[in-house]
Amino acid sequence: MRKGERDLLLKSRVKAISEFYLSKGRMPSFSELCSLTGLRSKNAAFKLVKRLKNEGYLDQDEKGKLIPRLINRTIKLLGAVEAGFPSPAEEELIDTLSLDEFLINNPSSTYLLKVSGDSMAGAGILPEDLVLVDCSLEPKNGDIVIAQVDGEWTIKYFEKRDGEVFLIPANSKYDPIKPKEELKIGGVVIAVVRKYR
Amino acid sequence: MIDYPLTIHSWPKAILHVDADAFFASCEQATKPYLRGKPVVTGKERGIVAAASYEAKALGVKRGMTIAEVKRKYPEVVILPSDYETYSIFSLRMFEILRRFSPDVEEYSIDEAFVDLTGLRRLYRCSYGEIGGRIKETIEKELKISVSIGISLTKVLSKIASKHQKPGGLTVIPGKEIHLYLEELPIEKVWGIGSNTSALLNKIGIKTALQFARKSEDFLRRYLSKPYIEIWHELNGRSIFPVNTEPKTSYKSISKAKTFTPPTSDEGFILSQLSRNLENACMKARRYSLVAKRLIIILTQHNFKRVGVEIELSRATAFPFEILPFAKEGFKRIYEKDKFYRQTCVVLSELSSKNELQLSLFDDTIKIHKMNKIYNAIDTLSKKYGKYTVYHGSSHLVRIQHEGERGDIPERRINLLKGETERKRIRIPIWNIKV
Repeated sequence: MRKGERDLLLKSRVKAISEFYLSKGRMPSFSELCSLTGLRSKNAAFKLVKRLKNEGYLDQDEKGKLIPRLINRTIKLLGAVEAGFPSPAEEELIDTLSLDEFLINNPSSTYLLKVSGDSMAGAGILPEDLVLVDCSLEPKNGDIVIAQVDGEWTIKYFEKRDGEVFLIPANSKYDPIKPKEELKIGGVVIAVVRKYR
Repeated sequence: MIDYPLTIHSWPKAILHVDADAFFASCEQATKPYLRGKPVVTGKERGIVAAASYEAKALGVKRGMTIAEVKRKYPEVVILPSDYETYSIFSLRMFEILRRFSPDVEEYSIDEAFVDLTGLRRLYRCSYGEIGGRIKETIEKELKISVSIGISLTKVLSKIASKHQKPGGLTVIPGKEIHLYLEELPIEKVWGIGSNTSALLNKIGIKTALQFARKSEDFLRRYLSKPYIEIWHELNGRSIFPVNTEPKTSYKSISKAKTFTPPTSDEGFILSQLSRNLENACMKARRYSLVAKRLIIILTQHNFKRVGVEIELSRATAFPFEILPFAKEGFKRIYEKDKFYRQTCVVLSELSSKNELQLSLFDDTIKIHKMNKIYNAIDTLSKKYGKYTVYHGSSHLVRIQHEGERGDIPERRINLLKGETERKRIRIPIWNIKV
């Protein structure tokens, strides 16, 4: 048997042992080791243990029972670094988000709006900032909304108390608004974008 | 004979037609809420009304009217340059919403679509009318534009339904009620029946869509060809035209037209406009791997009189280099020195696939190969650095005039966000609201 094949065989045996350890929570006995690895005699199993001990995969206590060392850390075993890093395969990028996807939940109902006032400065929304507004969402308490109150558009916190809606600024210069005649919610602010350069 | 229904089947199929109301003007009102409820028209840059909001229509503004006339007669109308980028985003979003309800969506035009709803009653546990209502509500909530919806058994009938009540209508025509809607409908209002056909039908005593639908097939076959018999079937509730969900990949012809203001008699400038349109049309043809065997050029004079000429090309191609000499010759034949022109139009027709193209014995294969390389490079450059990075010298004069006409450029292209360029903007509409 050539060296490469022997290494492969050893790796598959280590894998079998580690799977046993992970599922049972203990190391196998020598007879269990035989059936796990396909070895026919305990003597062969003893030799395997000796070899794995040398390579640091496991250890034995004073009674000869096996103690796991590197055995349960499957990542180290399988991901042995050969040379450099593997190139990022497409599959690795499947579970990543683009900034668009991260910022926008509903692409067909999301709009951009440039803020001009400072009534939400306390919430970190400054003049010239861009806000992303989703008009498919129902506003909840604490949401920042774009609303039309008695004909005027505004950006404020949405607060509903006892069936009455209040629009609350994040700036002590302004007073909360209680719509007199008409309130239309244009949409809920889902993100703020500020580009510095 | 009027009373009995055309079919006793209520819903063998359910086709929905959605038609956005005054689409371009509605998009402007959606992104500029201060324009809602006000008369708005678009098309400033072309000098004629491309779309008029319902408020403008109520005043008497019509599509195709000149902007000058609108200004003179209705000074209160807000006149805007067209912002096709925003309209296209709204259009895509509308189709996207429709696909949430059914996978079978046909994008019929920028503001119209057909949706096959057959069988979806069970999924949504409601009637076809209620599904239509939900679609309408969703579009109005998320896009802030109004649409008219028609639902019936066939495409032809669903179009009649959506037109029945506009704007903002929702009309459902089940099989048993088709005859009620066709009774009063003049035959020329039916989709696919043109003025010549309706004139012929009038002569044989058919004035309304119902009279047409009630005739026997044998009788109609004596006068009409197959496409009209298909319309007859559709009017009777038998679906012939399927909802075509394939995105458009082939074209019968490609046309490019551009209006310039003010109208001019400058030969060099008009020719450069023509050349630019030709470059554009060829670019589109190359994108779909098509070649054209026939060229049509049309010049529109300031009084909207059109003169055109048709030219057979020596070889099917999509290279302006080969077509330009023909275009110039055609231009010389129709251009008159003392006339003012407002638009040039180029049509490439008799299109075929580039891959099926056979070189003839007399073609200069080396030259064709070289041209192929050049235009591949031009297309690559356009993709990377923007359209017209490299263009034909014959189109150069287009540049010179168009600079500085700020009022004709939509706001979206002027007030760029940090990081946006004149060529590329974020693909999200901006709400023009001061908060």
